[in-house]
Amino acid sequence: MNIWLIAGIAVASSLVLCAFMCLHGNPERRLVGLEMTSMIVITSMVLFTVGTGRLPFIDLPLTLAILSFGGGLVFVRFLRRYL
Amino acid sequence: MSPHHPIGEAILLSIVVLSAWLGVIGMLRMHEPTQALHYLSLPAIGAFALTIATFLETGLTQVFWKTLAICIMLLAINSVVTHASARAFRTRQLGHWEPRDGDPIEFVRDTKEFEQ
Repeated sequence: MNIWLIAGIAVASSLVLCAFMCLHGNPERRLVGLEMTSMIVITSMVLFTVGTGRLPFIDLPLTLAILSFGGGLVFVRFLRRYL
Repeated sequence: MSPHHPIGEAILLSIVVLSAWLGVIGMLRMHEPTQALHYLSLPAIGAFALTIATFLETGLTQVFWKTLAICIMLLAINSVVTHASARAFRTRQLGHWEPRDGDPIEFVRDTKEFEQ
């Protein structure tokens, strides 16, 4: 257990509050919770990658960062038009 | 070439953890979604510290460059998605995005109205 893994666990534990935000309130608040969740997940994935020493896994947060952009915009568009 | 510096890494990683937690708590504390959107920038700022910490741990490797790409992407994407979200919230509430005569100046809704 090194400092990177400790930081990763500390960052990932905030996902509980993000899940609470995603599951409660009106659709706008849930969308903000979803966007925050993607940021936290990307950060914690980088921390776990360096912490475990499995450096090829850095491609996963990179891919998620690209995909979360499209995903966020799709949800925003859907919220604006239909919800 | 790895400028390994454990104390520097510890400080930078604590900045990452603090920024993530402050962002999440601030987002939860805000009742209005438009106010909560502001706290999305805090983890993006933490990504800067994460990039520097990765450089201290691994040096100028592929991991560092990819982490730098993630950091730049988070900063760029965050601003675009935040703007699009705020625009969608306003359109959803008022029915249009651009300012018109008769629009309420105070966009933030009353807290009591939100809680009902």
